[in-house]
Amino acid sequence: MNILESFKIALSSIWNHKIRSILTMLGIIIGVCAVIIIVAIGTGAQTQLTDELFGDDKNVIELYYEPFPTDDGSEMMWVEPELTADDLAEIQQLPGVKVAMGINHGWGTLFHNEKQIELQIVGVGRDYFYGKNIEMVEGRPFTMQDNDNMNRVVMIDDFTRDKLFKEDEDIIGEIVEISGNPYKLVGVYKSTTPPEYRWGDDGEALMPRTLNGMMFGAAEIQQVQVLAASAETLTETADLAATRLSEIKNLEDGEYTYWDMSEYEEEFASFYKIVTLVIGSIAGISLLVGGIGVMNIMLVSVTERTREIGLRKAIGATRKRILFQFLIEAMTITLLGGLIGIGIAMLVTIIVSQFLPFTAVVSPIVVMIGASFSALIGIVFGILPANKASKLSPIDALRHE
Amino acid sequence: MEWKWLHMMKLNKINKIYQSGKLTVPVLHDIDLEIKDGEFIAIMGPSGSGKSTLMNIIGFLDPPTSGTYELNEEKINSFHENQLAGLRNKHIGFVFQQFFLLPRQNALKNVEAPLVYADVGKRERVERAQEMLKKVGLGDRATHLPNELSGGQKQRVCIARALVNDPEIILADEPTGALDSKTSEQIMELFVQLNQEGKTVILVTHEEEIAAYADRIIFLRDGKITEDRRHSA
Repeated sequence: MNILESFKIALSSIWNHKIRSILTMLGIIIGVCAVIIIVAIGTGAQTQLTDELFGDDKNVIELYYEPFPTDDGSEMMWVEPELTADDLAEIQQLPGVKVAMGINHGWGTLFHNEKQIELQIVGVGRDYFYGKNIEMVEGRPFTMQDNDNMNRVVMIDDFTRDKLFKEDEDIIGEIVEISGNPYKLVGVYKSTTPPEYRWGDDGEALMPRTLNGMMFGAAEIQQVQVLAASAETLTETADLAATRLSEIKNLEDGEYTYWDMSEYEEEFASFYKIVTLVIGSIAGISLLVGGIGVMNIMLVSVTERTREIGLRKAIGATRKRILFQFLIEAMTITLLGGLIGIGIAMLVTIIVSQFLPFTAVVSPIVVMIGASFSALIGIVFGILPANKASKLSPIDALRHE
Repeated sequence: MEWKWLHMMKLNKINKIYQSGKLTVPVLHDIDLEIKDGEFIAIMGPSGSGKSTLMNIIGFLDPPTSGTYELNEEKINSFHENQLAGLRNKHIGFVFQQFFLLPRQNALKNVEAPLVYADVGKRERVERAQEMLKKVGLGDRATHLPNELSGGQKQRVCIARALVNDPEIILADEPTGALDSKTSEQIMELFVQLNQEGKTVILVTHEEEIAAYADRIIFLRDGKITEDRRHSA
């Protein structure tokens, strides 16, 4: 069979009935367009949500203490257990735990060049650099010795550097003053907060945890974060670590637990599923109506071209060739409609992304599925008219007025 | 399906009855006819005599209701539809009163059409179609659409299309019915030339002057052959 020839005939016949063809394609265009847009927005939103919940740290989870509720529901005085470096070492031993990080927090004000900035001061150990992706911009990170010796060293993020220091200023090794105390500035690291998520003008500084404890009067480790070996085993690992931690501390009035982010994801997934279902059914109905429209117009076309069919049969076209010709024609209409739908969807996606807090993405797979599905609709709904055409007897067809 | 063409078509007791609803219309009755290679036959008769139906049966377009049609001494009654399509494609060239040209395709494309169904490659198709257009005197009209051609020119395109796959038989149903007398004359001369080149030409007409070009005239009346006359040319 000469597919290319049939395709050319189909295209010229579509071209000869431009308005009719466009109207016929409309259902397919709208259907394909709707599906692609909703998938694009959904994918974009999901990526966004995952980023927001986990940031770069998809395998990191925080453990925290929660007291058991009292029998009568009254608020109870409770004391959070004090965690030590030894406890952290225990957690580090657990299977599935890549790095157990102890983190302390404090606030301070950094003065320089007659300017000042509020800093969130994070007290970290060497573990922090194993667990997080800290990218150095200038200088060096802390060493073991810095932590063990409680060296008065500090690192600031590049956001703080840009706010307070001149670009060409050589600041590594300088002594800076934070809340009235002098520290040696040893490094600048790239802020882990992407610009689009930053709010407020606060900077961040890292300090050895030991030093931080001393400065802020808290010797214990305030917060434990666990880097799991993989995102899949995150919950499992967190569960293990929380139980172990509760065990070590002999807790009776409470326990260690963790935020299960996957719950948020599931919640979003089920919401997205409903939206997809609603839009999907609208698109499905649109495609169905579009398909019936194609069938209808193809039946009209068969009737209009009865003589042509008769002639083609007279000069040697078999039933199969006629069937094929009309199938290709129906398929060409819907495929064209599908492609137009994809094009419009891409445009809409780009425009809509300007107004959304995230970027909607049209993936190549979705485009391919959209195109093949619209072609399939043409074949399915083209069968009836094509079959009708192929069954015409040449004599009746030629006699047709 | 390769078919070796020999020189004989034989119709035995061919009947054709059309059924429309409860009404049965007998069109042909016990037709016996033998056609030899290279003949120039005119089928004549008043309208409703069944001459077009007879031609369609000869051209494998319409199956007879009863009777046998032998081709090379083989009955074709049992032939599959696809085999008949193949026979029409390779061995019969149809010329119609209303031309039946594809309206949106140019003359060359129209002539090419039978070759498409014969699975001939693009280049050869164009070559052969061009050659046929030249043969019927329309070499310079290849890119014209049918509505840009006169009646006579359209009929020439139709004849070129009938000839392009080099069939043994040309079947023409009132080929000059829509043409003026001068153009008719030119078209008939073309048929005479084709017959002289060895084609079997069978035409259906109700005009004496047209039938006069043929060597053999078959008269039909009410579905029966009333006379089978040979010219002694």
